Amino acid sequence: MTAYAELMIGGLMSGLVVGLAALAITLVFGIARFANAATGDTMTAGAYVALSVSGATGSVIVGGLVGALAGAAIGVVVYFLIFRKLAGRSSVANLLASIGVAFIIRAIVGVIFEHQQQVFQLPLVRPWRILDIRVQPSDLNLAIVAVLTLATVFLILYATPVGRRMRAVADDPGLARISGISPTRVMIALWALAGSVSAVAGVMYGIKTVVTPEMGWDMLLPAFAAAILGGIGHPVGAICAGILLGTIQEMATPFVGFTYKLAISFVVLLIVLLVRPSGLFGRNEGAR
Amino acid sequence: MILTIEGLTKVYGALRVVDDVSFTVPSGDIVGVIGPNGAGKSTLFSLVTGFLDAAKGQVNLDRKPIGSLSPVERARSGMVRTFQVPREFSHLTVWQNLMAATPKQSGESLTNLFFRPGRIREEEDMNSQKVDAMLDFLRLSHVAHTPAGRLSGGQKKLVELGRALMTGARLILLDEPFAGVNPVLIEEIAERIRELNAQGIGFLIIEHDLGALTRLVSTLHVMDRGRLIASGVPAEVLANKQVREAYLGGTS
Repeated sequence: MTAYAELMIGGLMSGLVVGLAALAITLVFGIARFANAATGDTMTAGAYVALSVSGATGSVIVGGLVGALAGAAIGVVVYFLIFRKLAGRSSVANLLASIGVAFIIRAIVGVIFEHQQQVFQLPLVRPWRILDIRVQPSDLNLAIVAVLTLATVFLILYATPVGRRMRAVADDPGLARISGISPTRVMIALWALAGSVSAVAGVMYGIKTVVTPEMGWDMLLPAFAAAILGGIGHPVGAICAGILLGTIQEMATPFVGFTYKLAISFVVLLIVLLVRPSGLFGRNEGAR
Repeated sequence: MILTIEGLTKVYGALRVVDDVSFTVPSGDIVGVIGPNGAGKSTLFSLVTGFLDAAKGQVNLDRKPIGSLSPVERARSGMVRTFQVPREFSHLTVWQNLMAATPKQSGESLTNLFFRPGRIREEEDMNSQKVDAMLDFLRLSHVAHTPAGRLSGGQKKLVELGRALMTGARLILLDEPFAGVNPVLIEEIAERIRELNAQGIGFLIIEHDLGALTRLVSTLHVMDRGRLIASGVPAEVLANKQVREAYLGGTS
């Protein structure tokens, strides 16, 4: 029993990472209307920046914050250089461009930080034992970070003027434009937000495992799966689906083995989509 | 805000959908355009608001040509349209629909959000008061916090009107504001238009339905097969023989 409880905690943690990445994907999809394949490599870049800043300052918190800011900066720069020019093009054109952006980010990360895997230098802490279940204190800290990130994103989306306008653009871009809402302003906010959420996901993933140039790209498929499962364009759905998939994957490992755990989440995805084609929370296409 | 249309023409193949149409909407006036289905009224609207490009002719706002301006720029200069099938931000509440359209918000930027929260709060309070007053005026206060997608067709038309007004529009182009609206709400909408007009806001209204429109407008233009076939005060225009043949099929 305790082994399962520990697997479940592990699943929740990886679920939070997948959920955050899926949130970044679903935000961009809802407003810019394409699946952003550069999300994974923005995660990687955020993790590397956090790693080197925390190495230099000795503080993982400072490193993480700078990493999140770097993610926001990458998002905004990529928007201005690439996606602003592709506005109004098909979502396939944007998707292909984002794959290119992903390669470029990964190449730059490789040049700056080299290719060996690295780890965050964290002090070793004895795990707590709660009802005989081992709980890593660092997991609790990461969960708090994830919850704070989510709270910030949802506050921005649902309780601020810029969030209101982002949701207006997601709802009807043409109407937003003739209602005097500047698409550029909304897009800057969107890309900064999605970039920093990706970076936080990358930092969390890096702390849990190791930091490599491929880490983000490898997370892309599960993150897409969670975004679709949650109902594309639906922020709450993305988070819930990420946690669901993460937990199912880890819990299934003893039965199907490590190799097939990723396949399990796609089986779940297929089953859910057969029953509910618009995803767990989706009501129709587009975002709200 | 004066709107002048000069020789506006739109051609699809051999069909002249809008054919050499000219008229003026004087500042603070209510002008109507009627005509049977397919007369080119909606196309005319799209040409004026920049959603379609004209083959020939000119649109002037306050005597300046605006033919090269995009729909967004035309909306920003104070001329805002509504749609025959009302469009709203369906997942946003009525209140949020109007708040989103309020211009010049410093809360549009994420950095301001973090570094100037005080200023944003002040603006929000101010804009929120304006929106509350507008909802009160439009008799929509009771649905302020309902998602706009759930309203009735007539209420959505009022939301469109409110959103246009919040952008600071001085000339509003209404595309069939009374179509599909119940008679009680038609009178409500007409009354709001009169009150806004008394405050100096101009209207150009396309309608298929004559009843409420003829009581509202000072000038009525009739379109048939792309051309303007009659213009003048409503009573005179409706007495015109050519109009009766085109529009009313010859019967009274």
